[in-house]
Amino acid sequence: MIIVLIILFAATLVYFFLSERVAKFVWLLSIQGVLLFGIALLNLIHTQIFGLILILLETLIVKAIIIPGFLHRLQHQNRLKRVHESQIPVFYSLLIITAILIICFLISYNIDNQVIQLRYFTVALATVIGGMYFIIIHKNIFSHLVGFLIIENGTFLLSLAVGSEMPFMVSLAVLLDVLIAVLVIGIFMNKVQDTFDDISVSKLNKLKD
Amino acid sequence: MILLFFGIALILSLLIFIFPKRIIIASASILYVLAHLLLTVYSYENLDLWDTAYFKFDSLAVLLNGLLSLLLIPVTYHAKLYLQRHVNNPKKESFFAGVMILLSTAISSVYFAENIVVMWVSIEITTLAVSFLIYHTRYDTPLEASWKYLFLSSFGIAIAFLGILILASQATSAEGADLSISYLSSAAAQMDPFFLKMAFVLILTGYSVKLNVFPLFAATIDAKTVAPSPVNAIISTALVNAGFVAIFRVYSIINQTALNSWAQHIFLLTGLISLALATIQLFRIKRFKRMFAFSSMEHVSLILIALSVGKLGYYAALLHLAFHTLIKGGLFFQFGQIRAYFHSGWIKDSGSYFKLNGIAALAFIVGILSITAIPPSGMFVSEFLIFKALFARGAFITAITVLTMLTVIIYVILKKTMHLLYAELPANFNPDKVIANKFEPISQFLLFGLVTYLGFNPPAVLTNLIHATINLLN
Repeated sequence: MIIVLIILFAATLVYFFLSERVAKFVWLLSIQGVLLFGIALLNLIHTQIFGLILILLETLIVKAIIIPGFLHRLQHQNRLKRVHESQIPVFYSLLIITAILIICFLISYNIDNQVIQLRYFTVALATVIGGMYFIIIHKNIFSHLVGFLIIENGTFLLSLAVGSEMPFMVSLAVLLDVLIAVLVIGIFMNKVQDTFDDISVSKLNKLKD
Repeated sequence: MILLFFGIALILSLLIFIFPKRIIIASASILYVLAHLLLTVYSYENLDLWDTAYFKFDSLAVLLNGLLSLLLIPVTYHAKLYLQRHVNNPKKESFFAGVMILLSTAISSVYFAENIVVMWVSIEITTLAVSFLIYHTRYDTPLEASWKYLFLSSFGIAIAFLGILILASQATSAEGADLSISYLSSAAAQMDPFFLKMAFVLILTGYSVKLNVFPLFAATIDAKTVAPSPVNAIISTALVNAGFVAIFRVYSIINQTALNSWAQHIFLLTGLISLALATIQLFRIKRFKRMFAFSSMEHVSLILIALSVGKLGYYAALLHLAFHTLIKGGLFFQFGQIRAYFHSGWIKDSGSYFKLNGIAALAFIVGILSITAIPPSGMFVSEFLIFKALFARGAFITAITVLTMLTVIIYVILKKTMHLLYAELPANFNPDKVIANKFEPISQFLLFGLVTYLGFNPPAVLTNLIHATINLLN
């Protein structure tokens, strides 16, 4: 079952590069949150109850509901519908993300380590690299925020891959920290829209000497 | 004790936020500086003792927290002047002062954190605080800088977290992951070298945004270009030190393995690339704050190069870090006066500063001589020790390359300084708008004088803390 969820997660990653509609990005992030919830639930069912509740809270409530809800609001406030300005055509991006997945698969299966669970590691690594690539090819700061959240999801998957259980308080601090960071980034994005009448990074160039 | 300090800081900042009155801002700020000083004294008295499960008063933390305490005294005074001159709105002033307290507290938390994730959380808090401090004036350029800083820092911190997770995977025991630095150091020898290398590179890359070095330095430079001088006095010094602490802790883990020379090569590479970039970029700068920001990049590069030498360079690296903190803080206080005098931060809008404001100009000259390590600056001693270590190790080509780049940097900085001091007055200069305070340069003379004194007569407390920090690596 876990492997099915991981494959679905990888499929959402590919789908990010097929889509140009902002609403789809928000939906895909929400779906990734639900998939992470399923993966975490199946993986950590035997761990401490507090740790489990926290992780489920992080995935289902924060990643699948709060953050996509917040992004949806941002999308409406900024009247964003479609992201046109991807610097690389969709077809090439699709090829590149497929290549990233294959390379991560090859790297992971050449790793000889007892601790790391390779089935998570492959997709986690591909998600992080894919998130970076997503940021690079988009000029729009909303897409940058989406790319950042893809990296965050990859990081979460990696935390499952390495199988380390952090102390409850530490996990809580990490969760709050990430949530606040995303909310603050969103608030600043609104300010950028209000000030520059646009959220393209090409407008943010006044600081260069 | 540290939790009590956090509690006090939180209460004071909340008080400031809730009651935005100047008397409350001033009282709470002074009380905070006292609490910070007390924390430094207490931590020094309890050196090497744990405080709760997540914090420890080790020598590096005590040294850097002491420097921050020292800086906070003039920062409070200069922040008051800055707010009077450029903000003059109790509500905005309270926001600024409250966030400054939170920023300093988060930086202290980074210093004392003995757990790698607690350190990470504290670093993320500094990012949020700095973003708000840059944007508090609500203009477009600060917004651009805030956005870039917030986004790139969050990106860097996410990358560093990947490194932490990989490190955690290698230190998992039956009870779960123990992420204390001491445990990770003791378990380092059993870790898989491939993953240890991967974790080190990811953490160095991620925290480079705080350390102001290659690869993620760009957002920090932009942030420093627009941040108010009192904020710059913290983010160019204490926050850079926080980045250094984060890297140093990971280095102390990897140093327990055969990979230590590999890590030193990475430091050398990062240091040389950053130094080269700072040298090139300095030719293009048109603003004083940008010049200081690239100067910070230069000094952190030198510190990394000193670390790359190994045992011979550790003392020089830590001494250089301490001196840079004090001098760069002083230079930003001085820049605050230049900004108030000419009502601009652009080099082209300045000139004849020596004739117009002699004492402040003298403070600027002393600061520039200090930061460029020209004798009798204390930094001359630390840079001399860095080159001595490089030559002693036989790294002649590296030493000569670094010396060449430093010569170019000194030339550029002195050229810009000469423009400020002796160039003709710009056409848009309005003498009626000049804001000057004859007491303002005092803090700079004290800081630059202190560095000169410490360079040639380092007291036992400083050398003992540095040597104890070096011992943390063994």
